[in-house]
Amino acid sequence: MLLRLEAISKRFGRDWVLRDLSFALDRGEVVALLGPNGSGKTTLLRLMAGLLKPTRGRVERGGRVLFLPNPPAFHRHLTAREHLLYDLAFHGGRGDWRGALVRFGLPENLPLAAFSSGMKKRLALARLILLGPDLWLLDEPETALDGEGRELLLKVLQEARQGAGVVLATHDRALAAQVADRTLELGVA
Amino acid sequence: MRRALLLALRDLRLEVRDRAGLLSVLAFFGVMLFIMALALGPEEAPLRRAAPGVLWVALAFASTLLSTRAFALEVEDGTLDDLLLVPGGKEWVYFGKLLFQMLLLLPLSALAFLMAAGLFYLPLEKALPILLTLALGTLGYASVATFYAGLLARLRGREVLLPLLLFSLVVPVVLSAVRATAGLVEGLPLSEVASWWQLLAVFDVVYLTASALLFPVVMEG
Repeated sequence: MLLRLEAISKRFGRDWVLRDLSFALDRGEVVALLGPNGSGKTTLLRLMAGLLKPTRGRVERGGRVLFLPNPPAFHRHLTAREHLLYDLAFHGGRGDWRGALVRFGLPENLPLAAFSSGMKKRLALARLILLGPDLWLLDEPETALDGEGRELLLKVLQEARQGAGVVLATHDRALAAQVADRTLELGVA
Repeated sequence: MRRALLLALRDLRLEVRDRAGLLSVLAFFGVMLFIMALALGPEEAPLRRAAPGVLWVALAFASTLLSTRAFALEVEDGTLDDLLLVPGGKEWVYFGKLLFQMLLLLPLSALAFLMAAGLFYLPLEKALPILLTLALGTLGYASVATFYAGLLARLRGREVLLPLLLFSLVVPVVLSAVRATAGLVEGLPLSEVASWWQLLAVFDVVYLTASALLFPVVMEG
């Protein structure tokens, strides 16, 4: 089992965002989180990543995790090449960063401050492919992507399925129907 | 430790490219020393007597600004989560951020000494022992400042909270460093100043060890 949530609840102040939620994910599975704004999709992803602690319940993870926030987080004064090289060094990887940039149509030496939202999303996908985590947690990965970018996202998700598990939060039901093995619908608590 | 070194060098690169943070520390530092020299001068004796205190007030504020800056680099760009998701312990993040500050604080200390030598009549022939005191003192100060800056990184009002939490804990370091610097300025023999250095070294080890052990706990909490 790659990820298991046992009866988790999360409260911010007096407001419960999630209550008694249980969930499990295996390798090779893609699960879409659906729900309106404020239903707790991002909070759930952050709990799965270990970036938040549940108020109640338990989270077990069985591999390396990467979380793609929306919008993606990058240092604006670094170039795409520098960012990927630092990421590889921190994670102890040896991937083909140049090949990843070419594949996603990104310039090597432009500061990220000059990147559009779509380019940053592409770079985030390149980073995921390069670092190859076991558990991919993606928050609205389709936003800001153009048609070509969306095709790349679909391919990336197919590749991720080969050995990793993916949980993606989205408002795009067509995307969820296209890529997910199952969906988890959250309501406003 | 390779990751810590890379993180420190990356932060240095970010800081140099951003410029705003580094320039504000340098401007604050220079203006403060200059105003204090104008206020206390022009006679040599009062300037010399005040020099250790003025020097350490300037270095303490510079270190506080830099420690806030070390985590502001991550919080402003939203990248702190990425560092926390790197597999393994989180101590390397602490050491990387501390090293980043020391790489800036050590040259800043040397610059401060040169400015103070010019403005406050500090003895240039005592440069080496004074620089050793500055290095020991800034390490102790920065080790606690880095810990608290990480703890407060995501809070609003961290710039206000950090000095309040920090200053009570670093009083022994600042006191020892000021006494050692004053002893050197007054011309005491090195054997007498050495006891302050030993005390500073002990504080450095204790603060460094405790902060490195507690840092992963507070970042994952």
